[in-house]
Amino acid sequence: MIRRASNLQTDCRPLDRLAAGERGIIVSVDCPPPVARRLMELGLIPGTEIEVVRRAPLGDPLEIAVRGVHLSLRRTEARHIDIAPV
Amino acid sequence: MISRPSEPRVRRVAILGNPNAGKSTLFNALTGLRQKVANYPGVTVEKKTGFCDLPRGQRAEITDLPGSYSLQPASPDEMVVRDVLLGLQPDTPPPGLIVFVVDATNLDRHLYLALQVIELGRPLILAVNMMDAARERGLEIKTDALQRQLGVPVLGISAAKAEGLDTLRELMTRDVEPSTRHFREFPAHLQRVVERLEQRLPRRDALPDRARRDLAVALLLASGDDDALERHVSPDTRRDAQVLAKRLDEFSPGWRSGDVMGRYEAIAALVAEAVNAPASSRTDARREAIDRVLTHRIFGPIIFVVMMGAVFQSVFAWAQPLMDLIDFGMTRIGNAVGSVMADGPLRSLVVDGVIAGVGTTLTFVPQIAVLFLFLSILEDSGYMARAAFIMDRVMSRVGLSGRSFIPLLSSFACAIPGIMATRSIENRRDRFATIMIAPFMSCSARLPVYALLIGAFVPNRWIGFVTLPGLALFSMYFLGILAAILVAWALKRTVLRGGMPLYVMELPAYRMPAWRSVFVTVRERSLLFTRNAGTVILAITVVLWFLASYPKHGEAVRALESQRAAAVVVGDTAEAHAITRQIASSTLEHSFAGRAGKLLEPTIAPLGFDWRIGIGLITSLAAREVMVSTMATVFNLESGDADLQPLRTSLREAVDTRTGKLAYSPLTGLSLMVFYVLACQCMSTLAVVHRETNSWRWPIFMLVMMNVMAYAASFVVYQGGRILGYGT
Repeated sequence: MIRRASNLQTDCRPLDRLAAGERGIIVSVDCPPPVARRLMELGLIPGTEIEVVRRAPLGDPLEIAVRGVHLSLRRTEARHIDIAPV
Repeated sequence: MISRPSEPRVRRVAILGNPNAGKSTLFNALTGLRQKVANYPGVTVEKKTGFCDLPRGQRAEITDLPGSYSLQPASPDEMVVRDVLLGLQPDTPPPGLIVFVVDATNLDRHLYLALQVIELGRPLILAVNMMDAARERGLEIKTDALQRQLGVPVLGISAAKAEGLDTLRELMTRDVEPSTRHFREFPAHLQRVVERLEQRLPRRDALPDRARRDLAVALLLASGDDDALERHVSPDTRRDAQVLAKRLDEFSPGWRSGDVMGRYEAIAALVAEAVNAPASSRTDARREAIDRVLTHRIFGPIIFVVMMGAVFQSVFAWAQPLMDLIDFGMTRIGNAVGSVMADGPLRSLVVDGVIAGVGTTLTFVPQIAVLFLFLSILEDSGYMARAAFIMDRVMSRVGLSGRSFIPLLSSFACAIPGIMATRSIENRRDRFATIMIAPFMSCSARLPVYALLIGAFVPNRWIGFVTLPGLALFSMYFLGILAAILVAWALKRTVLRGGMPLYVMELPAYRMPAWRSVFVTVRERSLLFTRNAGTVILAITVVLWFLASYPKHGEAVRALESQRAAAVVVGDTAEAHAITRQIASSTLEHSFAGRAGKLLEPTIAPLGFDWRIGIGLITSLAAREVMVSTMATVFNLESGDADLQPLRTSLREAVDTRTGKLAYSPLTGLSLMVFYVLACQCMSTLAVVHRETNSWRWPIFMLVMMNVMAYAASFVVYQGGRILGYGT
């Protein structure tokens, strides 16, 4: 899954660049180790499908849906999560 | 897996699960009103325990562990959970049985922690909650398949509707065998590292062999600030673990989350076998429809403002009649008790000290009850998370998160329920910062003081679209907010710096609140306040009563009393009343509080305050609005008078006895208002801060910080004003 995604590196975008309603596959979670581990424990595992549901009225944070759970995530973290197109 | 019913005894059961799994609802449903709340020692995490009757005369002592996402802790709450389960928590031995609650509609995410805990090898029942919601969505969950795969008893329940609870209680009487399954595989090199560390850990009875592995892993992943590990593991071993972790980082990048991926793979297989989902259940249409409105770019903030306005107004207005009722009731009780007791120090102690103190404590309860009624409805329904989502951007500017907004808003009514409401902030540093700035919000007790001083010293003139008094009042509220922003900013860059910089929050599905659970929460918060902070407030009131009543000024008061007696004989009631007021004034002036006011005068003179204001500052320690009645007593006025006009006139016309000039200028009034905005005067707030931070350091810090700020600001206002020529 990860290898296949990395072939599509050129199409990858950070999560905060996705438009509301747009979906993708998580390629990598590139945060400092404890943060990355926590995000993965919350289900943001590479290879998982993720959707940006909406942005908060002031543009930050994002509401994302992953494994049927909706999470609020700030752009500072979303920037470090790479997404490949579905 | 399950054997015969066990011997009758009190079973120690812990409820555990992700936040939003319905843990607390289950806890409230099982224990009802038989709960008690305390703190885990040394931390601010709440320990909730309660009792539950089981079939065949057995009982269970149930602990509601804080909601967690992982045994690899990211917050003090999660650290307590890990410590309890690994047997590292000093006062709480590991539970005899774990009831693990998962949300049936979010099974795969909720199973993550479940697998971690099952791997620990402790007796565990998996309660699949919200089966009703799952059925509604057409989800079919095969509990027998889960039971087979996990090796633990599994049953479906709906805590909010009390479905399946009888079966759960029955299961709780049995001896449950722990599961022997593992759901993660370490690669060989990591396995060797973990085993090596394991051997160096101290042997302890409380720790089953399988949990030792988790302790070793925790040691490898530790990133500072972990009290339990520091207590239980020698510094040498901890240092070695850090060296090993560094080496793994070099040679095996990704080792830190390998087990996470492994568990999610196991979960995918589990869910594929145990859950039948209809193809269309991917998105919850109802939730989407509600969210489209509540978090809408334009309507979202509007609805938010309306909701917050309603909450704020309710705390302010709904609580008021109840507070008045309590006030009225306590006055009646005071009068009744006073009429049967002989006049003297004892009567004064009972009526003006004890009964007044109980009254002060009780008048906070309606505000706390009303606020927590709304907060638990907002929290349980799922709106609270949306409110935080909307406000996060604004609050992040000062280093806080959206969760801090509602506690701060509540503090405009009263800082005490506001500070109690900070419990919903997961991040410890954010929570403490919010507690420290909450008292800067101008609370309702400051309003009478502002009203008195603005009425006395601010001329009622129009400036453009606003009146000068309105502008002055607004400025006071604004000054408090400004101070809060500055302090939050400073704290988050100094003493409250660091921590995991991750603000991720679940946005749960919308649900009808479980009313029984809401009621239990409101009751529990009110009782908690009365028991803990209430006793401190009562003690402070009695001390302040003593300071304001003793020593009795013998000579002068006796002379006045005989004058009064003479007036009564003649039938001159007006004269008698006037003398009564003089007695009160004279007593106060010569009391400890009065002397302290005079003693304080050189210190507060640079702020423009004289000894009379000094007395007001001292009695304000009971509650800020007491300042108004104290000043009335000082100026020989009827203190129970609702009309502020005579007192305003007295303040304006007050004469400095030494110089014969006017004692107070408008600048004095402004300086005094600024002082009231910033000063930490409310001892009740400090009592609550002590209880909520579980330490004396924070309340003392608050007291010093706020009063230094208040003094400095008033000094600048008064002296600066004088230099600019506004002094007279």
